[in-house]
Amino acid sequence: MIIVRIDNVQSFVLEFEGWLEGLGVRRRRPDQVGAGDFSVAVFDDQTPEEERAAVDRGRDWERTKYDAGWGAVDWPERFGGRGLPPAFSAALRAAEQDWDLPRRNELFAVTQHMVAPTVREWGTDEQIEHFVRGLLRTDIMACQLFSEPEAGSDLAAVRTRAVRDGRDWVLSGQKVWSSMATCAQYGEAICRSDPDAPKHAGLTAFMVPLDRRGVTIRPIRQMTGGACFNEIFLDEVRVPDTLRIGPEGGGWQVAQTTLSAERSDSGGLGTGTVDKLLALARHRGVSSPALVDEIVQLWIHDRVLVLNNQRTVAETQAGQTAGAQGSLGKLAATTNMRRTSDVITLLLADELIADTGEWGTFAWTEQVLGAPGYRIAGGSDEIQRTIIAERVLRMPRG
Amino acid sequence: MADLVESAEQAELRATLRRLFGGPSACLARPEPESGGCYDAKLWGVLAEEIGLCGLAIPERYGGSGYSRADRAAALHEMGRCLLPSPFLASAVLAVETLLATGDEDVLTDVLPGLSAGTTLATVAYRETPGGDRRPVHAARDGAGWLLTGSRSFVLDGCQADFVLVPAETESGISLFAVDAVSAPGLSRCPMRTLDPSRPQARLDFSATPGRLAGDPGAGAIAARTGVAHAAIALAAEQVGGAERCLEAAVEYAGMRRQFGKPIGSFQAIKHKCADLLILVESARSAARYAASVSSSPAAGEDLFATAAFAGAYCSTAYLTVAAENIQIHGGIGFTWEHHAHLYFRRAKASEVMFGTPLEHRTFLARHLGLSASPPPEP
Repeated sequence: MIIVRIDNVQSFVLEFEGWLEGLGVRRRRPDQVGAGDFSVAVFDDQTPEEERAAVDRGRDWERTKYDAGWGAVDWPERFGGRGLPPAFSAALRAAEQDWDLPRRNELFAVTQHMVAPTVREWGTDEQIEHFVRGLLRTDIMACQLFSEPEAGSDLAAVRTRAVRDGRDWVLSGQKVWSSMATCAQYGEAICRSDPDAPKHAGLTAFMVPLDRRGVTIRPIRQMTGGACFNEIFLDEVRVPDTLRIGPEGGGWQVAQTTLSAERSDSGGLGTGTVDKLLALARHRGVSSPALVDEIVQLWIHDRVLVLNNQRTVAETQAGQTAGAQGSLGKLAATTNMRRTSDVITLLLADELIADTGEWGTFAWTEQVLGAPGYRIAGGSDEIQRTIIAERVLRMPRG
Repeated sequence: MADLVESAEQAELRATLRRLFGGPSACLARPEPESGGCYDAKLWGVLAEEIGLCGLAIPERYGGSGYSRADRAAALHEMGRCLLPSPFLASAVLAVETLLATGDEDVLTDVLPGLSAGTTLATVAYRETPGGDRRPVHAARDGAGWLLTGSRSFVLDGCQADFVLVPAETESGISLFAVDAVSAPGLSRCPMRTLDPSRPQARLDFSATPGRLAGDPGAGAIAARTGVAHAAIALAAEQVGGAERCLEAAVEYAGMRRQFGKPIGSFQAIKHKCADLLILVESARSAARYAASVSSSPAAGEDLFATAAFAGAYCSTAYLTVAAENIQIHGGIGFTWEHHAHLYFRRAKASEVMFGTPLEHRTFLARHLGLSASPPPEP
């Protein structure tokens, strides 16, 4: 059992920041109300060109970091890491927020925190060799190919077929809601390999190269106006058996590894937004005591969410099994995003529904329009509640 | 950084207490107090003498064992789980913290050893009697001593305590006085009917009642305010224990009770409710542990009050919600006198108000966050 002393984490962060300074990276100036960029967007609404440019900038930075040993610090040395507890990488990620660095969009989280651990857990030695370092260094970007038009909350109902053909598999079907697939080289796909087996047992996972013949990627324009999700058509796409992840028929278990990484990675969603709301409220002054109370309640909920996440990290690093709060992260986070939308509506009122040109006001529409998406993405709030009830509280299955 | 992880010693202390209190599903509160009052003297003896619970967070030089307030919070968690009726909150938390805040060496050396051993009990009378009977307590010099006159209500364990700490108006501002509750002349104590039968309260009327000055003249308000803040943080730990037990009871019952040919716990309406309750319980646990950790630090300063308001506001609301939903999930049986569910609801409701309502806590926080132009409310 490794007990991490907090001062070790702090001195580690200081060392990291010293390295950033040496590279000439500048510290971000603290948020000033009324000046500078302002965004509380939940999803990145960018043109395809902007999206690609943002991903490229992010990859350059991830590679610099990885090569200097500051990338996957919580991974073993053979993957370019330092074998440190997760608290260290969490601390670095938090510290990066204070520096003028490319923003990590969702594709980076999927690649490094969801797909890389999945390949490491389920891959063959060759697959681990081929993929893991590349995913961590972002030489390979990967998206998920999970949901389908007829398989949303009921993920095990996927119909995309995987048919064995000699040493290959031939994949056909339609996947949907893949974030930033246009910037990814691979997709982790869950396909039906045995239509006769029971629903959960007939699935197999693959790493599908997205440049193969038969792959068509089409952006979906979402309610925010942006298009960071995609639908992907697989038309007899030929994939070698060497790209099968996990056993034939083991696709459901592989998907669970990816999804549980997503649940524990989502607790930090939307944090920091409440601070912006608070800054706005202080700047403008709030005369209604009822509205002040709404803001305080939101602040309390936000603070509790941050403490829950800190407790999860602290319990893990103390060698304890993290408490149930770890699996609650996503649901708690989306609930707070909705609360934030509700309170900003009361605070801005008219200025939320029509743009006066005033700094930091109408931009909140991005938060308000984006929040409903996260209550659905990565397992809807309702599915999260069922999972919590059945797996954490061990309530009877329906 | 606050310590959000439970230590091995705290877990061990909780396990010991849980066994002593009768196991994971024990409920020690009764809907109607027995003739000798709701406290079990024998159990109190074991807690005080064998476990040394009262002195847990009292420095060794005053007869305590010098552990932290976070350790004391672990004990309160278990007391909350089983609704232990005991003078612990009033005496070992509220009174002890108010006294410690005075820094009065003479008084501390005199009284803390007894409180630490649990052989004497104390409380703090800081709430005015409301309405037409309102008579704020004044203290007047009488030779070398002081005489107190006025009325206080909502005094936790007011009839059980051996001495009462009373903040009273003097020429140099509000000062704190210790009043011998057993034999002081001019003191009448009257029990109040309480919503929570496991937590007695009393009205105390002082009429030229002698009191001993504790702390500097004029320093009584801050001492009481500090004591109440520590009590709110301690209560938060107790609230988490109670909420945790309510959720367990609800989940357990939902797995057993069958309707429409199935356990009701297999219905999504019940499952989703329980998932939401789990978020409340775990979030309250994080908030209470954070608060206990902050209160354990001698450098907490003004943060103590904001932390108490934060934990008090969140944990009070969370406990009440879980206690109410526990009744809902139990259905009709949960609404009966015999079932424990209402005892938890009563405790949750009383705790919601006891050291500041959630709205009072949030009003204080608004000021703390720079959101309100009005002055912070005094406790």
